[in-house]
Amino acid sequence: MERGFAYVVTLVLMAVSTAALAARVGEPAPNFTAIDSNGKAHTLAAYHGKFVVLEWHNQGCPYTQKHYNSGNMERLQKEWTQKGVVWLTVISSAPGTQGYVTAEQENDYLRRMNAAPTAALLDPTGDLGHLYSAKTTPHMFIISPDGVLIYDGAIDDKPTPDPADITSSRNYVSLALNEAMSGKPVSTPTSRPYGCSVKYAH
Amino acid sequence: MARSSQLGWKSVALVLLSLGVAASAIADERRASIPHGTVELLSEQESIQPEHAIHLGLHFRLEKGWHIYWINPGDSGEPPQLEWHLPAGLRAGTIEWPAPSRLPIPPLMDYGYEGEVLLPVPIENTSGLAAGGEVTLAADMKAIVCREVCIPAKAQLSLSLAVRAERPRESAGTVAMFSATRKALPKPAPASWRPSAKDLGDSFELRVTTGHSASEAWFAPLDPLQIENAAPQKSVTTTAGVRLILKKSDQLLKPVSRLRGVLVLPQGAYLIDAPVAVSPAKRPNKEQ
Repeated sequence: MERGFAYVVTLVLMAVSTAALAARVGEPAPNFTAIDSNGKAHTLAAYHGKFVVLEWHNQGCPYTQKHYNSGNMERLQKEWTQKGVVWLTVISSAPGTQGYVTAEQENDYLRRMNAAPTAALLDPTGDLGHLYSAKTTPHMFIISPDGVLIYDGAIDDKPTPDPADITSSRNYVSLALNEAMSGKPVSTPTSRPYGCSVKYAH
Repeated sequence: MARSSQLGWKSVALVLLSLGVAASAIADERRASIPHGTVELLSEQESIQPEHAIHLGLHFRLEKGWHIYWINPGDSGEPPQLEWHLPAGLRAGTIEWPAPSRLPIPPLMDYGYEGEVLLPVPIENTSGLAAGGEVTLAADMKAIVCREVCIPAKAQLSLSLAVRAERPRESAGTVAMFSATRKALPKPAPASWRPSAKDLGDSFELRVTTGHSASEAWFAPLDPLQIENAAPQKSVTTTAGVRLILKKSDQLLKPVSRLRGVLVLPQGAYLIDAPVAVSPAKRPNKEQ
């Protein structure tokens, strides 16, 4: 009962903040609460003091597959979570669209791919996606330990679905995290995200 | 050692043999199936004349509802890419992009082509090709074909043209398509239109003095991350021309010095390169 009430309050708050705020680099990242594939709630504000990566995901999208079937995304998840980063994979595909998964299907996928995000957030209503104006899969965001959005854009500089392009690419997420962790300004704070459109409900 | 080198020679011979077969099989593969459509390499001319340029083109035919992308694909997708394999002395220019259509996938906006489109490519020819022979022009094409979902497409295309000393005839099967496409390519905007833009803080105001009022107008940006592709473009048309309010991209962090793109008007599409001035209200006060 209490949980249900909290959920409703969260939804209302999210609706309010969607109207009031946009995710913009250099500004406080909009707060959210979302439920992961194990039923656990994650609130951005609770991760104050840590870097947070948001990764928009659709397992049916060829661009997502480029980074998962090659092991690139899983490698990044392992590397950065080991360094204390909170990595949240977000699935905003609406029911009936490509990439929509139940909690069980997502857990199966994470196991099968040996993926290692901190959590996979299920966002079938698209609220979290709209809050951040997530456009593509993948679309990557980085939030600094003090809650400021420091990166919004592509995973790397090779906008193709071809896994062969990964080795020669510059990974913008690693670049930004490395720079930010050594106290430098992020040299590429935005880039055009590339990939499939996020499959929002119409 | 001897044994392995023998084996080595055998496999080299096999590889050469199969390459020979493959090469003859792909000598003239103009057309290929791609997901939900076909792509064909076309030539505007029937033959090639030493030291004279020609035009080739990629002709896409897609099933209803499927699309490919413009040079700036908008919020998702990517444009077709070509890797050319041409005889020495021939050099492919860049794709001459027809004006795109807007492809709304709320809350996103993409730019691309549905149904059928020809993407012309000029081929420079500075070679001393000998008349009487034949040349093969080949391209590896990569694209992404999308409806709600996207499917990567690849094709290896090639066509052979006779080298003739005389001026080539236009190819009867393709000349109409090339000329129709050429007519619809975005034209450079006349200098008298004086395109200009103003930075209004959250948006840009693009002004073009066409000298005519237009019932509708919209702008497709060439550079990503300048404007919010999906935002409605408020257009005010006057007898002097067109004024468009373009919402800035949330991802735009630095001032923009130029807005480059295609202005689509009822009478045609025009290439626009507008310097951006900061509006007086936004200019830093130096007297302070």
